[in-house]
Formats: sequence, C-alpha cells, structure tokens
Amino acid sequence: MGMKNNKTGLYKLAALTATPLILAACGNGNSDAEDTSNPGSEGASGEQVELEFWSFWGSGPRRDTIEAIIEDFNETNDTITVEYVYQPWGDIWTKALAAIAGGNAPDVIVQDINSVRQRADANQATNLQAFIDEEDISGEFYPQLWETVLFEDEAYAVPFNTDTQVLFYNLDAFEEAGLDPDSPPATWDELEEMARALDQESGESWEQIGFYPRWNIGADVWTLNADGGTSWFDEEGNVAINTPEKVDALEWMLDWQDYYGRDTITQYEAEFGSGVADPFISGLVAMRGQNINYYTNLRENAPDDFRFGVAPLPEREEGSGNWSWGGGFVLEIPENTSHPEESYEFIRYLTSTDVQERFGMNSFDIMANVEANENLADNTELDERAQMIYDMANQNLEQTVITPVPLNAPDYLSLVNTQIDAAFLGEKTAEEALEDAQNSVENLVEQHQ
Amino acid sequence: MKPMEEIVRFPPTIIPETFEWGNYLHTIQAFPFFRYMRNTLLITTFVVAGNVLSNSFIAYGFAKIDFPGKNILFALVLATMMVPGFVTMIPQYILFTRIGWVGTYLPLIVPSFFGSAFFIFLMRQFYMSVSNELIEAAKIDGANHLYIWSRLMLPLTKPALITVGIMSFNGAWNDFLGPLLYITREERYTLQIGLQSFQNQSTTQWNYLMAGATLVMIPTVLLFFFAQKYFISGMDLTGGTKG
Amino acid sequence: MKAVEEQSQFKKAVSEVRQLRKKKWSPSQKKEAMWGLLFVSPFIIGFLGFMFLPMMFSFIGSFTNYNITSRMDFIGLTNFRRMFTQDELFTTSLYNTAYYVIFNVPLTAIGSVFLAVLLNRQIRGIRLFRTIFYLPAVLSGVAVYVLWMQLLSPSTGLINTILSWVGISGPSWLFDPQWTKPALIIMRLWSVGGAMLLYLATLQNVPKQLYESAEVDGAGFTRQFFHITLPMITPIIFYDVVTSTIGAFQIFQEAYVMTEGGTGGPANSLLFYNLHMWNQAFVAYNMGYAMAMSMILFLIVLTLTFINLKLAPRWVHY
Repeated sequence: MGMKNNKTGLYKLAALTATPLILAACGNGNSDAEDTSNPGSEGASGEQVELEFWSFWGSGPRRDTIEAIIEDFNETNDTITVEYVYQPWGDIWTKALAAIAGGNAPDVIVQDINSVRQRADANQATNLQAFIDEEDISGEFYPQLWETVLFEDEAYAVPFNTDTQVLFYNLDAFEEAGLDPDSPPATWDELEEMARALDQESGESWEQIGFYPRWNIGADVWTLNADGGTSWFDEEGNVAINTPEKVDALEWMLDWQDYYGRDTITQYEAEFGSGVADPFISGLVAMRGQNINYYTNLRENAPDDFRFGVAPLPEREEGSGNWSWGGGFVLEIPENTSHPEESYEFIRYLTSTDVQERFGMNSFDIMANVEANENLADNTELDERAQMIYDMANQNLEQTVITPVPLNAPDYLSLVNTQIDAAFLGEKTAEEALEDAQNSVENLVEQHQ
Repeated sequence: MKPMEEIVRFPPTIIPETFEWGNYLHTIQAFPFFRYMRNTLLITTFVVAGNVLSNSFIAYGFAKIDFPGKNILFALVLATMMVPGFVTMIPQYILFTRIGWVGTYLPLIVPSFFGSAFFIFLMRQFYMSVSNELIEAAKIDGANHLYIWSRLMLPLTKPALITVGIMSFNGAWNDFLGPLLYITREERYTLQIGLQSFQNQSTTQWNYLMAGATLVMIPTVLLFFFAQKYFISGMDLTGGTKG
Repeated sequence: MKAVEEQSQFKKAVSEVRQLRKKKWSPSQKKEAMWGLLFVSPFIIGFLGFMFLPMMFSFIGSFTNYNITSRMDFIGLTNFRRMFTQDELFTTSLYNTAYYVIFNVPLTAIGSVFLAVLLNRQIRGIRLFRTIFYLPAVLSGVAVYVLWMQLLSPSTGLINTILSWVGISGPSWLFDPQWTKPALIIMRLWSVGGAMLLYLATLQNVPKQLYESAEVDGAGFTRQFFHITLPMITPIIFYDVVTSTIGAFQIFQEAYVMTEGGTGGPANSLLFYNLHMWNQAFVAYNMGYAMAMSMILFLIVLTLTFINLKLAPRWVHY
C-alpha cells in the first residue's frame, strides 16, 4: 500500500515547527522532566533492557496476577526488565494514541482485538511478521482470533484473551417450571417454548421473565446468529445488512418486544440499564444471552446457593448453527519503539500456554491460547463451575465470529443502531429499517473512498 | 455505602439496609489513596494559585487600562474558548512532548499561570463594575497600575477571587484527561485516575466506585462550605462600586 | 449575514491596527499602553506558547485527511463537502446540539439566578443549604449517571413517582428518543449550583443602601429584584450566557457517559456535535474531518458570541 510510511512533507513540517517556536517561548522546561520515552539502555545484546507494559487491569485479581507473572518473567530473564503501568479502562487507548503520535509510546500495550487492522493501516503498530516467520505460533490460537491480527497477510499483534456470547440460565427456575435443567433450549423455537414456561405474570407486572433477546446482547449478535455467522459486513467486506435471515431475526426480536410489551421492556431496561442492579441474580430473568465472562460477576456477587447453567446461543432453526459473537484483547508493540525484539519476547511469554493458563485461572478470562483453555477445563484446582465455563468457552469458540472494525467504514455502527432503534420504536418495519441501514452504510463506505 | 450483594438486588433499595463502612476501607486500600490524594493536592494547589493570580492580573488589563489592540486581544481570549479541546489535544500533546514536559506535572500546572479565557472574562466582568473614579483618585495620589491592582482591586474583588479559586480547584481536582495524558508513572497518578481502577472490561465494582467517588468529593464540598464565609466578609466595600 | 459580521469585525481590527501605526500617542498614553500590555502579557505568552500552534495545526488539518499517525495530505474542501452533503450524522448531531443549547442556556441562567437570590440571605444554617444546592455541581462521572438512571427510571424512579402523584404518567425518559434530551437538560439543570456560585459572589457587590432606600420607598421583593438586583448583576448574567452558550455547544461528557462510550443513545438522540466529532477523531481516526467539524462549530459559536456582544450594551449595566 502506497500510503504506508508516506508521511507527507506537511505532516513533518507541522510537527517540526512546533519545536523551535515553543522552546523560544518557554525557555528550558526540561529541568525536572523525567525520562518518558523508553527508559533504560540500548537494546544491544547482553545489556539490560527495560520495557514498559500498559494495560487496564487496575485492581483485583487480574492486576495481582499480571504483576506476579511479570515478576517471574523479570526474575528468570537476565536482560529484560518489564515495568507494568496501569492505565484506565477505555481511556488507555486515547492515551496510547497520543503517545504514539508524540513518539513516546510504551513498548507493549494491551489493545482491542477489533481494531488491530485499523492501527496497522495507520502505522500505529509494529509489524511482527518477521518474528512469526521465525517461529509460526499462529496455530496456538483460535483461528478467528489470529485472523484479526493480520493486515495484508502480515501479523501486527498477538491475541491475548477473548470471550464469546452464551446463554446463562437459572437452574432453580428451570426445575420450578418443570423443565429439564440438563437440556437448555437448542433452537429459537425451543427458547420461546421454555421462556413461556418460565414466564410468571402477576397482575400488571412480571415476577419472572423467561427470556428477552435484547438484554445484554444486541441485535447485532442475533442477526449474526441467524445469518450463518455473517455480521453486518460479509467476508469480502461488502455491506450485508438487509439479508433475508437478518430481517427474519429482527422480526423475531420485535415479536419478543410485542409479547412482553414495549413499556415493560423499557421499564426493565431503565432499571438495569446502568448495569448496577442484576436481574439474573435477583431471579427476575430466568435465561439470558450474555458474554461468558459474566461468570466473574456471578462468582463475586451471586449468593453461594445460586445455581446456573451455560449453553450455546440457540440456533435459528435446526442446522443453521449456534453462531455466536466474541471479542477480546491483543498484545501490540507500538510503531517506532526502541526494543521490538525484547518486546516480542515478552509478548511470546505472555501468550505461552503456561502463562495463559495461569492468567485464566486467576481471572477466569477465556484465553486466546487453545491449549490453555483446554487445560483450564480439566484443571482440578478450579471448581466444577469454572471448569464448566472453560469447557463451554472452548466448545463455543468453534462457532464464534469476531467482527473487526471494517477499514472502509470504521464509524458505521451508529448508522445501523439508529435504524434498529427505529424498528423497535415501531417507526419502521424490520425490512424497512435494515434496508435503510444498508443504504446508509453503503453511503458511508463511499464517503471513505 | 451498600454491600455489593445489595447493590445488584432488584428492586433497588433506596436507603441501604446495611451500611458497609468496609467499602471505604477497601477503596482506600485498593490503590494508593493517600499518595494519589497528595499528588492531586499538589497539582491543584499550583493550579489554583496560578489561576487566581494570573487571571485577575490579565483581566485588570482588559477592564481598566486603555491600550491599542485591546479589542482584538479580547476577541482572541474569547476565541480560545470556542475551539473544541479534542482537536487541539493531540497537537498539544506533541508540543509538550517536544519540550520534554510529558511525564511531569508541568503541562497541568504551567498553563494556569498564563490565564484561562473563562476566568479572564469572569474577572473582567467583575472589574468592569468597579468604579473608575477610585482608580483615577489613586492615580492622582501617584499610584501606578501594579499598586492599584494589588492594593485596591484584589481586596475589593475578594468574592470574585474566591469564586475563581473554588472553580479552578474543582476543575483541577476533578480533571481526568489532563493527568491521563501527561502523567506517565503510576506513583504520580491522581485520585480521578485511581477511581477508574474499579472499572474494567467485564465488571464494575460499583460499591467501591461509589465509595471512592464520595471520598474524592469531600474536599470540594468542604472547600465550598468554608469559603462562603469569605464571600460575605468581602462585601463591605459597596462604596467602591458604581451605584 | 455571517460574512457581514465577520467583515465588520475584520474592519474594526484593521482600523485598530491602523490606529496603532498612525496615531500619535502622548507620553502618558504611551505609558498607559505599556501598562496595558504588561497586564495582558501573560495571556499573550501563554497563547503563543501553548495554544497558537495546536490551533493552527487544527486549522491546517481541517483541509487534510490527517489520521493522527500516518496520513496528512491536502484534500481541499473535501471534508466540508462531505459534512454538508453526505454525512447524515452531522445534521443529526447539529440538530441535537442546537436543541440542547436553546433550552439549556436560558433555563440554567434563570435557575441559577433564582437559586442565588433565594440563598443570598443571612439566616441560620444558610451555609449548609447553599452547600447542599452546590453539591450536584461537583458530583461528576459515572456516579451521577447511575443516580440519574435511578431517578429517571420510568416505573420506580423518583421523578415519575412524583409526576404520578399529580396524575401524570411520566415518559420513559432516557429510553425514548423524544425524551432523552429533555432528560439531559433536567440533569444539567440539577447542577445549576456552579453558576449559582457566580451569582452569589456578584450579589455581594450590590450596595445594601439601594435595598434600604427601596424599602423606605415601599418597594416589595419583586420590585427590588427587577429594579435593583437584576440590573446590578447583568455583567455576570452576560458572562454566564456567553460562556454557557459556548459550553453548551461543546456538551460531551454527560452524553458520552450516558450512551456508554459515545454510541449516541436511542435513535442517536444524544449524538451531540462533539460526540460525533470524538467518534470521527478517535474511533475512525478521521482527525482531519473532526478538525473540519471543529472549524464549523467555531464559526457558529463565534457568530453567536458576536451577536451576544453586539446586543450587550442594550441590557448590560456596568
């Protein structure tokens, strides 16, 4: 691509003119400035190298674990010392962007898996393909995760952890309703049947709501589930919003809203929307589709006697596939840092099976390394539920799709959401809404060309 | 203040059934609370000092002295408020990187000594309502502008100065983006950054987050409560204002 | 109209520059001018040091495809053309923002003056009262969001509960695109304590004798308010209106938190100008486009401020 490394004269000029003028205006501001860019010595072999590692694990088990892991790394490694720096969740990437633009980025950053290509395209991440060519590690990870780190067939990151959407269901509620706790719904029809059995209406309000598809996962997941794992963009990168399957799925979701009533749904969304109160733990909702890492919430906040099961998202009809959607995080080396080799060594360490297993065991994250998850599913140090979660994750990741940000329309999501909102507000039919969304996004793709 | 099990419950309880003071204890221990508080206080002190001094100084020039180019300059002051911060954020970061200030508190503190449009404008409005006769009289007595500003104007506009002080205290105390971008070492972080450590990709520890937010807010509330007294005592100068 | 105003602004500036050159200054005027420059010099230095280059950079960037890290090519007026002809969300965000400004600015100004006058008296415990009303202004971030989600909850929220007492069935606020902006305006109104602070400070400068003599004349509270208090605080009302207009156009934080990371809320009803700009800059890396958007916002706000300044002499008493 001709764009790469093509910093125009203007760009350079603008960045350079900043220096002398400012220095003239401010005198020496350097006096108590500390060394911000890559502290430590040169990366020549045999010498000490200090690496700075950023992530958003600020407190709790994730932080404790990563610090212990880094300590071990530093102890066993003679030449590299890693310093861990916590950055606030979400804002870490704003800061990273500024640091990369300013030329004082850290050595390794935990980044969002969906935007690897975007950063590779914008020269924000170091190309790791040379390291991968030396030792091909791609097979250690779930293939769809590895797929996301490739830009023009070259790797720019290594997957660290992931997640997937599954169905959580309340075992006690199942038993009370006379349902078999061992056979959760496998298709949308069964889901509806069981939800009806679980519904408990009392007067104008609900004591128990069997299931509502749009709580905790969005229309995007159900349309993808219905459409054979194809997201709003198909594999060739074409806009695939108004497919018949997706229209079907949206209609199905609208039926659920009609069944419970829009007011009921809105009320509960208002109650739980902030994520503070939890209707599943409270027993108000008997089944819900949700990110598998919801398990950590259950561990921390549910009473000890709370019993639940997990299952793949039901399929639209038999044979259409239990397609699910996932995300995750990767390890990246920003462009133009001074110790890419050492940084890669550290990344390699963090993504090795043992370390991955260790991180998962303490954080209950689903790891990117396949073997690590398999080990965790059988790890007797974990309790049965945790093993069940890893087993489920492993199984579900076979039908889990990751949807990287499309380079030709990175900001398309609010266009789609508006139309879907319009459908749920009764302003448009499912077909009209998706048709309009299709046009909007196609128009956006055009704008970016 | 509520324990987490009660927080997730539905329907939500308005008044917590069990007060869990342990939340506060845990919040303080979850990150180096007192160290971050010291850092925040250090930054805030300088920012408040810078803002109170520089803005009243600059505003006096705009309100009470005639000089060529004043209107253009004042238009420029107003214009600096109108450019959204996001678009200048990255260039400004690059600039502070070039002069080696990233990683220090300087980008957070130094600019406040050169005035801020909101406060310059505010102080100017206050000075505008102060009678010119007072200044003329002082001039006849041989006082220069520096003297008039420091000995007459500052005492006279005490409520305004305290207002600027309170507002810039709040601004610096609650600032998030500035410290986020410019502080590079964890031991130098501020409270607002520490508070964020209760949020991550899958869970938010609401109990600690709320307890933390309450703790962090206390100084700003106390400041306002006690600063009011000086508001009231700064007003016995009615003779000096225009009728 | 915009052009005319800019032109007249420009003419004024030019004539000022000319004056600078031509006019013969008497020694005392020269001395006075030196003092003036001395007093405003910190601003000039700070502006040149910290703001001028970033601002110029954004100005230049608005004519490029700047993506922060690898691209910055001149593309002429493409960004502006896209804004006005192709970008559907630009119009939406401009509409949302205008809606917010129109209600937020007058309501908070009236609210805070009212509150300040109400709390500007010497009674027992007044300091505590003021502090309570000031409290919301210093509350910020996620905590506020959680609180308002509960207050505005359609069924169990305090606001709809109170409305139901008087027989009104309240809307579903943050979940109904028709009501999200009013909800946000109410939320902001709740924190008028910040502006109240300004007015409280100003009210201290109103000479007491004025009220005393008014009382002698038999003027009641309302007359005192409209004939003494209000005129005396017009400089700060003016300040408040100008700055809160500028601020309201840049509303971001609340909407960002309320819409979980800037997605725009139900049917994009909370997609404000700065939110859209943020998404362009930091989600899509279309920084050049975001810079172009900021130029347009700058021009809009500049025009409004200019109108404010022009109208000021009619009602502001110094």
